[in-house]
Amino acid sequence: MLEQLAQLDRRWVFLAMGLAIGVPVLLQLEFPEAPGSQARAVFEEIEKLKPGDRVLLAWDFDPATEAELGPMATAFARHCCEKRVQMFFITLLPVGPQMIEKTIENVVRADFPQLVYGEDYVNLGFKSGYEAVIKVIVTNLRGLYTTDARGTNLDLIPMCQAVQNLQQMHLIVNVSGSYPGTKEWVQYAATPYQKQLRMVAGCTGVQTPEMYPYIPQQLRGLLGAIKGASEYETLVVERYLGESPDPKYLEARRRMGPQLVAHLLMIGLIIAGNVVYFLQRRAARA
Amino acid sequence: MKRLVPLLITAIGGFVLIISFFIPAWQESGEVVAVWFDILASIAFILGGGNLLAVHLKKISDRVAGWGYSGVTLLAFLVTLVIGLLKVGTAPAPQTEFFGETFAPLPVAALPEFSVPGSIPVREEGGRVPASVRATDPPQLSEASGRLIFRGWMTAAQKADLLGYQETLTWRSQVEELAELARPPAELRGKVQFYPEHGVLSFRGVMSGADREQLEELFASQPAGLEAVADLYRRSQSVTELSGVSPPPGFQIPDAASGFVELNAGTLAVRGPMSEGLRRQLAVDWLHPDRVRPMTDEQRAARRRELEALGPPLTDEQVQVLATEFDGIWIPEMLIQALNTAGLAAVETKTYRELLAERDAGERNLVATKPKGEDVQLNADQEAAVQRYAAEPAMTAAELEAALQQAGPWLPSQSAALSNFLNEQPTVAELDRKIAFKLLRLHRKSPSNPPPTSAQLDALLAETRLRAAWGWQVDELFRRSHQTKFPWSGDYSSPGSPFDWIFRSIFQPVTATMFAMLAFYVASAAFRAFRAKNVEAVLLLGTAFLILLMQTFVGVLLTEHLPDWLSALKADNLKRYLTIIFVTAGSRAIMIGIALGVVATSLKILLGVDRSYLGSGDE
Repeated sequence: MLEQLAQLDRRWVFLAMGLAIGVPVLLQLEFPEAPGSQARAVFEEIEKLKPGDRVLLAWDFDPATEAELGPMATAFARHCCEKRVQMFFITLLPVGPQMIEKTIENVVRADFPQLVYGEDYVNLGFKSGYEAVIKVIVTNLRGLYTTDARGTNLDLIPMCQAVQNLQQMHLIVNVSGSYPGTKEWVQYAATPYQKQLRMVAGCTGVQTPEMYPYIPQQLRGLLGAIKGASEYETLVVERYLGESPDPKYLEARRRMGPQLVAHLLMIGLIIAGNVVYFLQRRAARA
Repeated sequence: MKRLVPLLITAIGGFVLIISFFIPAWQESGEVVAVWFDILASIAFILGGGNLLAVHLKKISDRVAGWGYSGVTLLAFLVTLVIGLLKVGTAPAPQTEFFGETFAPLPVAALPEFSVPGSIPVREEGGRVPASVRATDPPQLSEASGRLIFRGWMTAAQKADLLGYQETLTWRSQVEELAELARPPAELRGKVQFYPEHGVLSFRGVMSGADREQLEELFASQPAGLEAVADLYRRSQSVTELSGVSPPPGFQIPDAASGFVELNAGTLAVRGPMSEGLRRQLAVDWLHPDRVRPMTDEQRAARRRELEALGPPLTDEQVQVLATEFDGIWIPEMLIQALNTAGLAAVETKTYRELLAERDAGERNLVATKPKGEDVQLNADQEAAVQRYAAEPAMTAAELEAALQQAGPWLPSQSAALSNFLNEQPTVAELDRKIAFKLLRLHRKSPSNPPPTSAQLDALLAETRLRAAWGWQVDELFRRSHQTKFPWSGDYSSPGSPFDWIFRSIFQPVTATMFAMLAFYVASAAFRAFRAKNVEAVLLLGTAFLILLMQTFVGVLLTEHLPDWLSALKADNLKRYLTIIFVTAGSRAIMIGIALGVVATSLKILLGVDRSYLGSGDE
């Protein structure tokens, strides 16, 4: 028995993980969410904004991390639309434009058709160069961006005409799944210009621990993984969407169900592995 | 030399970036270096592509193990590259297509000049005149001999830009006067336009002989202008046909379009490019569709009976769906409110020239607005007319307006508000369609409610289907009659393009799957490798347990019943301690260590001590 467990075919583990995720998805398991301090900090930073304030929405994630970061991007966009701020979308990843387009399509155009492109939101698109892009546009936006993603001259876009650099943004919101991402935005924008720039971010679970040292000076708030997204989403829904919001604004909370079961399975597997390990060690000593 | 040049580039670039970070005066130099980095990085993409080709072609050529994967990689790379670069299947960007207009290239120098006394002021804070009036060659705005000159016709955006250039009354008066002069002749306004950013003369709709004569007179001394006019005339006269059309019963070409739209023996033809307005006229507006009106209880009950006659009795929830939709229909008080609001005297602003004249006349307290007129509100008779319109389906909007005019004072703004209000209401067909889809959704959400029967759907959707079928045919004619202006202006990844299809159907699922597979490998590793072999491993295990639990609702569930004196052990607090104290401290230590390493390594590279990044060194 012990030997069988020790030599357990990994495919059984894969099957267990598949069921741990698949069954809750099918059963639509959902649990209540209590917002933590970081989610509240992020929420309050956006709440402080006044209509017409400029917000840079840096969507530095791709389809690989979309499952984890997509819901928080949706919640961020919804919150900014509710606050009637001017939204400047930007990305440093080649596949980021599709993520921006998805957010604009699902949130801005779908639920706020009265918002006008060029007056209420603009898509600056992708620019290659990683952190070098941040380094330039934080002091001179037109050094790299002469047009928006549609090819329109920035001077002809009403909300861009007065923007010379990123220091004129009232808040930077970064959703980051890889490099370049939150770390680079903190290092090249939020840190050198701490007096002018405020920044909040949402990261994958793997990135989150690296960002804690930046809180709260360089980073006013941080959403860690789907858990952070779910907490923030709860705050946005409670404040703005009432009792029966569109399911797309509950996506993070929906994903917490499978995550709970998967985490319990992981704990179970670690315990089982260690029990096998100790029993084997005792047997070897005997 | 081969190593010296890259070494110098690295050293100079690196030191400039460091200096620019600490010394504000060097900021611009830092930006230049960063932009150069960006340019070099894009060249690196080309080199990277070439390298990818070379490596994988060699693998295929040598038939090394796994060469098939190289083939797939190369195929994916080339397909994506070609489709992306050539914008295969990408429609032009709608905002650059100017539907309903015809374009002909025209140099800005051929446009007429307009001038007023004045000059371009110099702004204290510096800065050039707006880009919208200086981007052409020669620039549209200039000054000479004490006169402010504008070449071409000033657009509303250009006027707004110029007004914002400086806030002085004198400058704004000059701009206002210039904008009034720099317009096409009255007969051509709204038809002809010059787009400076594209360098083209545009004509909206079909150019008549009289239009052509006027334009030729305008460009009499400019061969380029005459050529553009001839080109526009020829293009605007081109006829596009769509055969085999089947218009809905009773279709009639709207009077306004009868001069250039024809329907003969199943062939619909249009002269010149079709505008979006004309498309709407042909597809929808010709029908003068009935807009929804407030419904009495009897009318609601009758509507319900009509539906029940075509299927089983409606359930309570289905009745509620109907009630919700009927409740959303406008009520007479809303229309009265809209008409009263439109009757409020508008605040009229003075022109800048009027203000300047007042100032020159010695007025010190300038007021930007003119005295307000009297408000016009609906009287009792007019309100009764609105109530009658809401209650009598036979009464038309024209009859309502006539009744309102007869019953009391009436303003053109109220007439416009009446028209807007009624046209903003959904049509009866739209309301029926909404009900049909809501009933279908209700069945999907709670299957105890039967789906609408085919007969019910036919009744609710008949007009929608008819219009959709006709609308598609009009859309096809619209598409064919359009003269594409900028075929490559579309975004290569716009929705519906082949690139977008590759992204959504292949790239997105594949990358998401790759990332999701981590969960399976981590689970397997947790079982096989995560062992409490020593104290450090036990600490790591304990932390992992806590994080795994605290990231879910289980953590809250397990610790929510703890008494207050043990609140430090509650899930949220535990997570906070872990992140604020242990994680932050550990991360800081690692980060500082890395930073020191980066400083040391960077200095070695910048000073040329470490040259490993330059390759083997073989000259």
